[in-house]
Amino acid sequence: MGGFLDYIQGTSFLHRLNPLTKLLIAFLLCVACFICDRHLFVLGIIVLNLLLAGVAGKEVLLRSLNMLRALVKFSAFLFVIQILFVREGTALLHLPFGLVITDRGLSFSLLFVLRLFAATMPIGLMLSVTRMSDLSNVLVEKVGIPYQYTFALTTTLRFIPLFSQEMAGIMEAQTARGVEFDTKNFFKKIRLLMPLCVPLLISSVKKIDGAAVSTELRGFHLRNRNSGYKKYCLKGADAAALAMMACIMTCAVIL
Amino acid sequence: MHTPMIHIENLNFQYKQGQDFALKDISLDIAKGEFVGIIGSSGAGKTSFTCALNGMIPHHYAGDFYGAVTINGMDTVEVKPVELSRFIGSVFQDVDAQMVATIVEDEILFGLENFQIPHEEIEERIQTALETIGISHLRNRTISTLSGGQKQKVAIAAMIALRPQLLILDEPTGELDPAGSRQIFEMLRILNQQYHMTIVIVEQKIMLLCEYVRRLLVFHEGRIEYDGQTRMVLEHKEELEKLGVNVPRMITLADTLKKRGCHIDTVPVSIAEAKKMVEEVLIHA
Repeated sequence: MGGFLDYIQGTSFLHRLNPLTKLLIAFLLCVACFICDRHLFVLGIIVLNLLLAGVAGKEVLLRSLNMLRALVKFSAFLFVIQILFVREGTALLHLPFGLVITDRGLSFSLLFVLRLFAATMPIGLMLSVTRMSDLSNVLVEKVGIPYQYTFALTTTLRFIPLFSQEMAGIMEAQTARGVEFDTKNFFKKIRLLMPLCVPLLISSVKKIDGAAVSTELRGFHLRNRNSGYKKYCLKGADAAALAMMACIMTCAVIL
Repeated sequence: MHTPMIHIENLNFQYKQGQDFALKDISLDIAKGEFVGIIGSSGAGKTSFTCALNGMIPHHYAGDFYGAVTINGMDTVEVKPVELSRFIGSVFQDVDAQMVATIVEDEILFGLENFQIPHEEIEERIQTALETIGISHLRNRTISTLSGGQKQKVAIAAMIALRPQLLILDEPTGELDPAGSRQIFEMLRILNQQYHMTIVIVEQKIMLLCEYVRRLLVFHEGRIEYDGQTRMVLEHKEELEKLGVNVPRMITLADTLKKRGCHIDTVPVSIAEAKKMVEEVLIHA
Protein backbone atom coordinates (compact mmCIF):
# COMPACT_ATOMS: atom_id res chain seq x y z
CA MET A 1 0.00 0.00 0.00
CA GLY A 2 1.16 3.50 -0.74
CA GLY A 3 4.06 4.82 -2.75
CA PHE A 4 7.67 4.18 -1.90
CA LEU A 5 7.99 7.65 -0.36
CA ASP A 6 5.15 7.19 2.13
CA TYR A 7 5.73 7.28 5.84
CA ILE A 8 5.74 3.94 7.62
CA GLN A 9 4.46 4.21 11.16
CA GLY A 10 6.73 3.04 13.93
CA THR A 11 8.37 3.85 17.25
CA SER A 12 11.95 2.77 16.57
CA PHE A 13 15.08 4.75 17.36
CA LEU A 14 15.08 6.11 13.82
CA HIS A 15 11.46 7.20 14.00
CA ARG A 16 12.14 9.16 17.16
CA LEU A 17 15.20 11.00 15.90
CA ASN A 18 14.79 14.65 15.06
CA PRO A 19 13.72 15.03 11.41
CA LEU A 20 16.53 17.48 10.87
CA THR A 21 19.11 14.94 12.08
CA LYS A 22 17.69 12.35 9.74
CA LEU A 23 17.73 14.71 6.80
CA LEU A 24 21.31 15.70 7.52
CA ILE A 25 22.48 12.11 7.92
CA ALA A 26 20.77 11.00 4.72
CA PHE A 27 22.39 13.84 2.84
CA LEU A 28 25.83 13.24 4.33
CA LEU A 29 25.65 9.51 3.58
CA CYS A 30 25.08 10.37 -0.06
CA VAL A 31 27.98 12.79 -0.04
CA ALA A 32 30.22 10.29 1.75
CA CYS A 33 29.87 7.64 -0.93
CA PHE A 34 30.87 10.15 -3.59
CA ILE A 35 33.88 11.43 -1.65
CA CYS A 36 35.37 8.00 -1.08
CA ASP A 37 36.24 5.83 -4.06
CA ARG A 38 36.80 2.55 -2.29
CA HIS A 39 34.41 -0.22 -3.19
CA LEU A 40 34.38 -1.68 0.29
CA PHE A 41 33.50 1.63 1.89
CA VAL A 42 30.55 2.19 -0.45
CA LEU A 43 29.47 -1.40 0.09
CA GLY A 44 29.72 -0.70 3.82
CA ILE A 45 27.30 2.21 3.45
CA ILE A 46 24.83 -0.04 1.66
CA VAL A 47 25.10 -2.56 4.50
CA LEU A 48 24.71 0.27 7.03
CA ASN A 49 21.56 1.39 5.24
CA LEU A 50 20.10 -2.09 5.40
CA LEU A 51 21.02 -2.35 9.07
CA LEU A 52 19.32 0.96 9.81
CA ALA A 53 16.28 -0.17 7.85
CA GLY A 54 16.29 -3.34 9.93
CA VAL A 55 16.35 -1.29 13.13
CA ALA A 56 13.41 0.79 11.88
CA GLY A 57 11.22 -2.26 11.43
CA LYS A 58 10.37 -5.14 9.18
CA GLU A 59 8.27 -3.09 6.80
CA VAL A 60 10.99 -0.51 6.27
CA LEU A 61 13.56 -3.25 5.62
CA LEU A 62 11.24 -4.90 3.10
CA ARG A 63 10.79 -1.63 1.31
CA SER A 64 14.55 -1.03 1.20
CA LEU A 65 15.09 -4.47 -0.27
CA ASN A 66 12.35 -3.83 -2.81
CA MET A 67 14.04 -0.61 -3.74
CA LEU A 68 17.33 -2.43 -4.23
CA ARG A 69 15.59 -5.00 -6.40
CA ALA A 70 14.02 -2.27 -8.52
CA LEU A 71 17.41 -0.64 -8.94
CA VAL A 72 19.15 -3.84 -10.02
CA LYS A 73 17.73 -3.80 -13.58
CA PHE A 74 18.55 -0.18 -14.12
CA SER A 75 22.03 -0.45 -12.70
CA ALA A 76 22.78 -3.60 -14.71
CA PHE A 77 22.06 -1.58 -17.82
CA LEU A 78 24.32 1.25 -16.67
CA PHE A 79 26.99 -1.24 -15.68
CA VAL A 80 27.11 -2.76 -19.17
CA ILE A 81 27.24 0.64 -20.84
CA GLN A 82 29.97 1.88 -18.53
CA ILE A 83 32.12 -1.19 -18.82
CA LEU A 84 32.08 -1.07 -22.63
CA PHE A 85 33.05 2.58 -22.82
CA VAL A 86 36.00 2.71 -20.48
CA ARG A 87 39.03 1.78 -22.59
CA GLU A 88 41.92 2.60 -20.23
CA GLY A 89 43.83 0.02 -18.23
CA THR A 90 44.81 -3.54 -19.02
CA ALA A 91 42.50 -5.44 -21.25
CA LEU A 92 40.84 -8.41 -19.64
CA LEU A 93 38.60 -9.52 -22.46
CA HIS A 94 38.31 -8.67 -26.13
CA LEU A 95 34.86 -8.55 -27.64
CA PRO A 96 33.72 -8.29 -31.27
CA PHE A 97 33.34 -4.82 -32.91
CA GLY A 98 36.59 -3.72 -31.26
CA LEU A 99 35.01 -3.46 -27.82
CA VAL A 100 37.17 -4.28 -24.88
CA ILE A 101 36.70 -4.83 -21.15
CA THR A 102 39.54 -3.50 -19.01
CA ASP A 103 40.35 -3.84 -15.31
CA ARG A 104 39.91 -0.09 -14.81
CA GLY A 105 36.57 -0.26 -16.56
CA LEU A 106 35.41 -3.11 -14.37
CA SER A 107 36.47 -1.38 -11.20
CA PHE A 108 34.98 1.94 -12.22
CA SER A 109 31.65 0.47 -13.34
CA LEU A 110 31.34 -1.54 -10.15
CA LEU A 111 31.96 1.57 -8.05
CA PHE A 112 29.47 3.49 -10.14
CA VAL A 113 26.71 0.97 -9.56
CA LEU A 114 27.50 0.63 -5.87
CA ARG A 115 27.33 4.40 -5.50
CA LEU A 116 23.98 4.43 -7.25
CA PHE A 117 22.66 1.97 -4.65
CA ALA A 118 24.29 3.65 -1.70
CA ALA A 119 23.20 7.15 -2.62
CA THR A 120 19.54 6.43 -3.35
CA MET A 121 18.85 4.34 -0.28
CA PRO A 122 19.36 6.89 2.53
CA ILE A 123 16.82 9.34 1.07
CA GLY A 124 14.21 6.62 0.64
CA LEU A 125 14.92 5.34 4.12
CA MET A 126 14.71 8.81 5.62
CA LEU A 127 11.32 9.47 4.01
CA SER A 128 10.04 6.09 5.21
CA VAL A 129 10.71 6.91 8.84
CA THR A 130 9.89 10.64 8.81
CA ARG A 131 6.51 12.26 8.46
CA MET A 132 6.49 14.77 5.64
CA SER A 133 4.76 17.28 7.90
CA ASP A 134 7.43 16.90 10.60
CA LEU A 135 10.12 17.41 8.03
CA SER A 136 8.54 20.58 6.68
CA ASN A 137 7.80 21.90 10.19
CA VAL A 138 11.38 21.43 11.28
CA LEU A 139 12.69 23.09 8.13
CA VAL A 140 10.55 26.11 8.93
CA GLU A 141 11.35 26.22 12.62
CA LYS A 142 15.05 25.37 12.67
CA VAL A 143 16.34 26.24 9.22
CA GLY A 144 14.07 29.22 8.62
CA ILE A 145 12.81 28.24 5.19
CA PRO A 146 9.60 30.22 4.54
CA TYR A 147 6.50 28.18 5.24
CA GLN A 148 5.14 28.84 1.76
CA TYR A 149 7.94 26.82 0.17
CA THR A 150 7.70 23.79 2.41
CA PHE A 151 3.93 23.96 2.08
CA ALA A 152 4.23 23.92 -1.70
CA LEU A 153 6.49 20.88 -1.47
CA THR A 154 4.25 18.88 0.86
CA THR A 155 1.17 19.83 -1.14
CA THR A 156 2.79 18.64 -4.34
CA LEU A 157 3.61 15.29 -2.77
CA ARG A 158 0.08 15.06 -1.37
CA PHE A 159 -1.55 15.79 -4.71
CA ILE A 160 0.35 13.13 -6.67
CA PRO A 161 -1.79 10.20 -5.45
CA LEU A 162 -4.94 12.32 -5.87
CA PHE A 163 -4.10 12.97 -9.50
CA SER A 164 -3.19 9.38 -10.23
CA GLN A 165 -6.54 8.39 -8.73
CA GLU A 166 -8.26 10.92 -10.92
CA MET A 167 -6.40 9.63 -13.98
CA ALA A 168 -7.34 6.04 -13.15
CA GLY A 169 -10.95 7.17 -12.84
CA ILE A 170 -10.94 8.87 -16.24
CA MET A 171 -9.26 5.84 -17.82
CA GLU A 172 -11.78 3.45 -16.33
CA ALA A 173 -14.63 5.58 -17.59
CA GLN A 174 -13.12 5.60 -21.08
CA THR A 175 -12.40 1.86 -20.99
CA ALA A 176 -16.05 1.27 -20.12
CA ARG A 177 -16.94 3.17 -23.27
CA GLY A 178 -14.76 0.90 -25.34
CA VAL A 179 -11.43 2.73 -25.52
CA GLU A 180 -8.67 0.14 -25.71
CA PHE A 181 -6.45 1.14 -22.78
CA ASP A 182 -5.52 -2.46 -22.15
CA THR A 183 -3.70 -2.68 -25.47
CA LYS A 184 -0.26 -4.25 -25.45
CA ASN A 185 1.05 -1.74 -27.97
CA PHE A 186 2.89 0.91 -26.00
CA PHE A 187 2.70 3.63 -28.67
CA LYS A 188 -0.97 3.07 -29.25
CA LYS A 189 -1.55 3.41 -25.51
CA ILE A 190 0.35 6.68 -25.40
CA ARG A 191 -1.70 7.98 -28.32
CA LEU A 192 -4.91 7.05 -26.53
CA LEU A 193 -3.72 8.70 -23.32
CA MET A 194 -2.85 12.06 -24.85
CA PRO A 195 -6.43 13.39 -25.13
CA LEU A 196 -7.03 12.53 -21.47
CA CYS A 197 -4.47 15.08 -20.35
CA VAL A 198 -6.94 17.89 -20.94
CA PRO A 199 -9.70 16.65 -18.61
CA LEU A 200 -7.05 15.74 -16.05
CA LEU A 201 -5.56 19.20 -16.27
CA ILE A 202 -8.95 20.85 -15.88
CA SER A 203 -9.92 18.81 -12.86
CA SER A 204 -6.48 19.36 -11.33
CA VAL A 205 -6.70 23.11 -11.71
CA LYS A 206 -10.16 23.01 -10.14
CA LYS A 207 -8.86 20.98 -7.21
CA ILE A 208 -5.91 23.27 -6.68
CA ASP A 209 -8.18 26.30 -6.79
CA GLY A 210 -10.35 24.68 -4.13
CA ALA A 211 -7.29 23.99 -2.03
CA ALA A 212 -6.16 27.60 -2.37
CA VAL A 213 -9.53 28.89 -1.20
CA SER A 214 -9.58 26.51 1.70
CA THR A 215 -6.09 27.39 2.90
CA GLU A 216 -6.75 31.09 2.54
CA LEU A 217 -9.91 30.83 4.61
CA ARG A 218 -7.95 29.07 7.29
CA GLY A 219 -5.49 31.88 7.75
CA PHE A 220 -2.60 30.68 5.59
CA HIS A 221 -1.31 34.23 5.18
CA LEU A 222 -1.26 34.87 8.90
CA ARG A 223 1.22 32.11 9.53
CA ASN A 224 4.78 32.86 10.56
CA ARG A 225 7.84 31.00 11.70
CA ASN A 226 6.68 30.69 15.30
CA SER A 227 3.19 29.46 14.49
CA GLY A 228 4.15 25.78 14.66
CA TYR A 229 2.65 23.96 17.63
CA LYS A 230 4.99 21.00 17.62
CA LYS A 231 8.49 21.76 18.77
CA TYR A 232 11.44 19.73 17.59
CA CYS A 233 14.24 19.70 20.13
CA LEU A 234 17.59 18.13 19.41
CA LYS A 235 18.21 15.45 22.03
CA GLY A 236 21.14 13.31 23.16
CA ALA A 237 20.23 10.62 20.65
CA ASP A 238 20.50 13.17 17.86
CA ALA A 239 23.92 14.25 19.06
CA ALA A 240 25.07 10.63 19.18
CA ALA A 241 23.74 9.93 15.69
CA LEU A 242 25.40 13.04 14.32
CA ALA A 243 28.69 12.11 16.01
CA MET A 244 28.52 8.71 14.34
CA MET A 245 27.90 10.41 11.05
CA ALA A 246 30.90 12.66 11.60
CA CYS A 247 33.07 9.53 12.10
CA ILE A 248 31.80 8.07 8.85
CA MET A 249 32.50 11.33 7.08
CA THR A 250 36.05 11.44 8.42
CA CYS A 251 36.63 7.89 7.26
CA ALA A 252 35.34 8.81 3.84
CA VAL A 253 37.75 11.71 3.58
CA ILE A 254 40.79 9.82 4.91
CA LEU A 255 40.29 6.68 2.84
CA MET B 1 -31.66 46.25 18.04
CA HIS B 2 -28.69 43.89 17.77
CA THR B 3 -26.68 43.99 14.59
CA PRO B 4 -27.52 40.87 12.59
CA MET B 5 -24.81 38.32 11.87
CA ILE B 6 -25.46 38.57 8.15
CA HIS B 7 -27.00 41.56 6.46
CA ILE B 8 -27.38 41.52 2.69
CA GLU B 9 -28.80 44.35 0.63
CA ASN B 10 -29.69 43.99 -3.05
CA LEU B 11 -26.84 41.63 -3.80
CA ASN B 12 -26.32 40.92 -7.49
CA PHE B 13 -23.30 39.04 -8.72
CA GLN B 14 -22.11 37.87 -12.10
CA TYR B 15 -18.98 35.75 -12.57
CA LYS B 16 -16.46 37.15 -15.01
CA GLN B 17 -17.13 34.51 -17.65
CA GLY B 18 -20.75 34.03 -16.60
CA GLN B 19 -23.61 34.32 -19.06
CA ASP B 20 -26.07 35.51 -16.48
CA PHE B 21 -26.10 36.80 -12.92
CA ALA B 22 -25.39 33.97 -10.50
CA LEU B 23 -27.07 35.85 -7.64
CA LYS B 24 -29.97 38.22 -8.22
CA ASP B 25 -31.61 40.80 -5.95
CA ILE B 26 -30.78 39.09 -2.71
CA SER B 27 -31.70 40.93 0.46
CA LEU B 28 -31.92 39.28 3.82
CA ASP B 29 -30.89 39.37 7.45
CA ILE B 30 -29.69 36.41 9.45
CA ALA B 31 -29.56 37.02 13.18
CA LYS B 32 -26.92 35.65 15.55
CA GLY B 33 -27.69 32.11 16.60
CA GLU B 34 -29.93 31.22 13.67
CA PHE B 35 -29.81 27.80 12.01
CA VAL B 36 -30.59 28.32 8.33
CA GLY B 37 -30.95 25.69 5.62
CA ILE B 38 -30.58 26.33 1.91
CA ILE B 39 -32.11 24.16 -0.80
CA GLY B 40 -32.54 24.50 -4.53
CA SER B 41 -31.83 22.64 -7.74
CA SER B 42 -28.28 22.53 -9.05
CA GLY B 43 -27.11 25.79 -10.57
CA ALA B 44 -29.53 27.74 -8.41
CA GLY B 45 -26.78 29.82 -6.82
CA LYS B 46 -26.46 28.04 -3.49
CA THR B 47 -22.69 27.65 -3.62
CA SER B 48 -22.27 31.18 -4.98
CA PHE B 49 -24.29 32.43 -2.03
CA THR B 50 -22.00 30.69 0.46
CA CYS B 51 -19.01 32.20 -1.34
CA ALA B 52 -20.56 35.63 -0.99
CA LEU B 53 -20.79 35.08 2.76
CA ASN B 54 -17.17 34.11 3.36
CA GLY B 55 -15.75 36.80 1.11
CA MET B 56 -14.55 34.49 -1.65
CA ILE B 57 -16.95 36.51 -3.77
CA PRO B 58 -15.72 39.08 -4.76
CA HIS B 59 -12.13 38.55 -3.53
CA HIS B 60 -11.26 35.19 -5.04
CA TYR B 61 -13.89 34.87 -7.76
CA ALA B 62 -13.85 38.08 -9.74
CA GLY B 63 -16.93 39.47 -11.39
CA ASP B 64 -19.52 42.22 -11.24
CA PHE B 65 -20.63 42.77 -7.70
CA TYR B 66 -23.55 45.04 -6.81
CA GLY B 67 -25.13 45.63 -3.44
CA ALA B 68 -23.65 45.03 -0.01
CA VAL B 69 -22.90 42.03 2.17
CA THR B 70 -22.17 42.85 5.79
CA ILE B 71 -21.03 40.12 8.13
CA ASN B 72 -20.84 40.97 11.81
CA GLY B 73 -20.76 44.64 10.84
CA MET B 74 -17.94 44.22 8.30
CA ASP B 75 -18.41 44.91 4.63
CA THR B 76 -17.08 41.90 2.71
CA VAL B 77 -15.86 44.08 -0.14
CA GLU B 78 -13.68 46.19 2.13
CA VAL B 79 -12.39 43.50 4.44
CA LYS B 80 -10.07 40.73 3.28
CA PRO B 81 -11.33 37.15 3.44
CA VAL B 82 -8.62 36.38 6.02
CA GLU B 83 -10.13 38.89 8.42
CA LEU B 84 -13.55 37.38 7.88
CA SER B 85 -12.20 33.90 8.38
CA ARG B 86 -11.29 34.80 11.95
CA PHE B 87 -14.92 34.27 12.85
CA ILE B 88 -16.35 32.42 9.86
CA GLY B 89 -15.75 28.72 9.33
CA SER B 90 -16.39 27.32 5.85
CA VAL B 91 -16.71 23.67 4.88
CA PHE B 92 -16.78 23.00 1.16
CA GLN B 93 -18.13 20.32 -1.12
CA ASP B 94 -14.85 18.92 -2.39
CA VAL B 95 -13.27 17.27 0.61
CA ASP B 96 -10.03 16.25 -1.07
CA ALA B 97 -9.28 19.79 -2.15
CA GLN B 98 -9.75 21.32 1.28
CA MET B 99 -7.35 19.01 3.07
CA VAL B 100 -3.95 20.54 3.63
CA ALA B 101 -2.14 17.92 5.67
CA THR B 102 -1.35 14.22 5.43
CA ILE B 103 -2.41 13.37 8.98
CA VAL B 104 -5.72 14.12 10.66
CA GLU B 105 -4.11 15.81 13.64
CA ASP B 106 -2.08 18.14 11.42
CA GLU B 107 -5.18 18.99 9.44
CA ILE B 108 -6.83 20.32 12.58
CA LEU B 109 -3.62 21.95 13.75
CA PHE B 110 -3.27 23.91 10.51
CA GLY B 111 -5.97 26.48 11.23
CA LEU B 112 -5.14 26.67 14.94
CA GLU B 113 -1.49 27.40 14.20
CA ASN B 114 -2.31 29.97 11.54
CA PHE B 115 -4.64 31.94 13.76
CA GLN B 116 -2.03 31.76 16.51
CA ILE B 117 -4.22 30.18 19.12
CA PRO B 118 -2.16 30.07 22.35
CA HIS B 119 -0.25 26.81 22.46
CA GLU B 120 -1.63 25.84 25.88
CA GLU B 121 -5.13 25.85 24.43
CA ILE B 122 -4.40 23.84 21.31
CA GLU B 123 -4.40 20.32 22.73
CA GLU B 124 -7.76 20.84 24.41
CA ARG B 125 -9.26 22.30 21.25
CA ILE B 126 -8.12 19.38 19.11
CA GLN B 127 -9.53 16.88 21.58
CA THR B 128 -12.88 18.65 21.91
CA ALA B 129 -13.27 19.02 18.16
CA LEU B 130 -12.49 15.34 17.54
CA GLU B 131 -14.81 14.23 20.34
CA THR B 132 -17.68 16.45 19.17
CA ILE B 133 -17.56 14.86 15.72
CA GLY B 134 -16.86 11.43 17.18
CA ILE B 135 -13.60 10.75 15.36
CA SER B 136 -11.07 10.67 18.21
CA HIS B 137 -9.90 7.28 16.97
CA LEU B 138 -8.86 8.79 13.64
CA ARG B 139 -6.47 11.31 15.15
CA ASN B 140 -3.24 9.73 13.93
CA ARG B 141 -4.55 8.31 10.67
CA THR B 142 -3.23 9.28 7.26
CA ILE B 143 -5.94 11.27 5.50
CA SER B 144 -5.52 9.53 2.14
CA THR B 145 -6.53 6.23 3.75
CA LEU B 146 -9.85 7.57 5.06
CA SER B 147 -13.24 7.09 3.40
CA GLY B 148 -15.08 10.04 1.86
CA GLY B 149 -17.40 10.31 4.85
CA GLN B 150 -14.55 10.22 7.33
CA LYS B 151 -12.78 12.97 5.39
CA GLN B 152 -15.89 15.11 5.58
CA LYS B 153 -15.96 14.66 9.32
CA VAL B 154 -12.31 15.67 9.54
CA ALA B 155 -13.04 18.79 7.48
CA ILE B 156 -15.84 19.76 9.86
CA ALA B 157 -13.73 19.00 12.92
CA ALA B 158 -10.97 21.24 11.57
CA MET B 159 -13.47 24.09 11.36
CA ILE B 160 -15.05 23.48 14.74
CA ALA B 161 -11.66 23.57 16.43
CA LEU B 162 -11.44 27.20 15.32
CA ARG B 163 -14.70 27.94 17.17
CA PRO B 164 -16.16 30.26 14.55
CA GLN B 165 -19.20 32.40 15.30
CA LEU B 166 -20.62 31.64 11.88
CA LEU B 167 -20.35 28.21 10.29
CA ILE B 168 -21.05 27.85 6.58
CA LEU B 169 -21.38 24.35 5.19
CA ASP B 170 -21.83 23.46 1.53
CA GLU B 171 -23.28 19.97 1.27
CA PRO B 172 -21.23 18.57 4.14
CA THR B 173 -22.97 15.20 4.11
CA GLY B 174 -22.57 14.48 0.39
CA GLU B 175 -20.49 11.37 0.95
CA LEU B 176 -22.03 10.23 4.21
CA ASP B 177 -24.52 7.42 4.76
CA PRO B 178 -27.89 8.26 6.37
CA ALA B 179 -26.67 7.49 9.89
CA GLY B 180 -23.52 9.57 9.41
CA SER B 181 -25.50 12.47 7.96
CA ARG B 182 -27.86 12.47 10.94
CA GLN B 183 -24.88 12.42 13.27
CA ILE B 184 -23.52 15.56 11.60
CA PHE B 185 -26.85 17.31 11.95
CA GLU B 186 -27.15 16.31 15.61
CA MET B 187 -23.74 17.78 16.18
CA LEU B 188 -24.69 20.98 14.35
CA ARG B 189 -27.75 21.23 16.57
CA ILE B 190 -25.55 21.04 19.65
CA LEU B 191 -23.19 23.69 18.28
CA ASN B 192 -26.17 25.89 17.49
CA GLN B 193 -27.98 25.48 20.80
CA GLN B 194 -25.13 25.24 23.30
CA TYR B 195 -22.56 27.49 21.68
CA HIS B 196 -25.00 29.79 19.86
CA MET B 197 -23.08 29.30 16.67
CA THR B 198 -24.86 30.76 13.65
CA ILE B 199 -25.09 28.03 11.03
CA VAL B 200 -25.87 28.31 7.32
CA ILE B 201 -26.04 24.97 5.55
CA VAL B 202 -26.62 23.97 1.93
CA GLU B 203 -28.02 20.46 1.78
CA GLN B 204 -29.64 18.15 -0.75
CA LYS B 205 -31.09 15.80 1.84
CA ILE B 206 -34.11 17.97 2.34
CA MET B 207 -35.95 15.64 4.70
CA LEU B 208 -33.07 15.66 7.16
CA LEU B 209 -32.53 19.37 6.72
CA CYS B 210 -36.14 20.25 7.50
CA GLU B 211 -36.02 18.34 10.73
CA TYR B 212 -33.18 20.44 12.09
CA VAL B 213 -33.24 23.94 10.64
CA ARG B 214 -35.72 26.55 11.75
CA ARG B 215 -35.45 28.70 8.69
CA LEU B 216 -35.34 27.62 5.07
CA LEU B 217 -34.19 29.49 1.97
CA VAL B 218 -35.16 28.16 -1.43
CA PHE B 219 -32.91 29.26 -4.28
CA HIS B 220 -33.89 29.23 -7.92
CA GLU B 221 -31.88 30.68 -10.78
CA GLY B 222 -29.98 32.99 -8.49
CA ARG B 223 -32.99 34.33 -6.62
CA ILE B 224 -34.38 33.51 -3.23
CA GLU B 225 -37.86 32.27 -4.04
CA TYR B 226 -38.88 31.41 -0.48
CA ASP B 227 -37.50 32.54 2.82
CA GLY B 228 -39.22 31.72 6.06
CA GLN B 229 -39.87 29.24 8.80
CA THR B 230 -39.29 25.72 7.54
CA ARG B 231 -42.93 24.79 8.01
CA MET B 232 -44.23 27.86 6.21
CA VAL B 233 -41.97 27.26 3.22
CA LEU B 234 -42.97 23.61 2.98
CA GLU B 235 -46.66 24.59 2.72
CA HIS B 236 -45.89 25.54 -0.88
CA LYS B 237 -45.47 21.99 -2.05
CA GLU B 238 -46.50 22.42 -5.66
CA GLU B 239 -44.53 25.59 -6.24
CA LEU B 240 -41.45 23.96 -4.74
CA GLU B 241 -41.76 20.99 -7.05
CA LYS B 242 -41.96 23.33 -10.01
CA LEU B 243 -38.63 24.81 -8.88
CA GLY B 244 -37.07 21.36 -9.01
CA VAL B 245 -37.04 20.80 -5.26
CA ASN B 246 -37.89 17.31 -4.08
CA VAL B 247 -40.12 17.91 -1.10
CA PRO B 248 -40.04 15.27 1.66
CA ARG B 249 -42.50 12.44 1.21
CA MET B 250 -44.38 13.33 4.38
CA ILE B 251 -45.20 16.69 2.78
CA THR B 252 -46.53 14.90 -0.28
CA LEU B 253 -48.56 12.67 2.01
CA ALA B 254 -50.01 15.65 3.88
CA ASP B 255 -50.82 17.34 0.58
CA THR B 256 -52.56 14.26 -0.81
CA LEU B 257 -54.57 13.82 2.38
CA LYS B 258 -55.60 17.46 2.25
CA LYS B 259 -56.76 17.11 -1.34
CA ARG B 260 -58.78 14.02 -0.43
CA GLY B 261 -60.68 16.15 2.07
CA CYS B 262 -58.90 15.36 5.33
CA HIS B 263 -58.39 18.14 7.79
CA ILE B 264 -54.69 18.96 8.19
CA ASP B 265 -53.64 21.89 10.39
CA THR B 266 -49.98 22.19 9.56
CA VAL B 267 -47.55 20.22 7.46
CA PRO B 268 -45.27 17.88 9.41
CA VAL B 269 -41.54 18.53 9.46
CA SER B 270 -40.40 15.40 11.26
CA ILE B 271 -41.24 11.70 11.32
CA ALA B 272 -42.84 12.07 14.75
CA GLU B 273 -45.12 14.84 13.50
CA ALA B 274 -45.99 12.86 10.39
CA LYS B 275 -46.94 9.90 12.57
CA LYS B 276 -49.14 12.09 14.73
CA MET B 277 -50.79 13.55 11.64
CA VAL B 278 -51.61 10.12 10.22
CA GLU B 279 -52.96 8.96 13.57
CA GLU B 280 -55.26 11.97 13.85
CA VAL B 281 -56.53 11.49 10.32
CA LEU B 282 -57.25 7.83 11.10
CA ILE B 283 -59.12 8.72 14.29
CA HIS B 284 -61.32 11.22 12.46
CA ALA B 285 -61.96 8.86 9.57
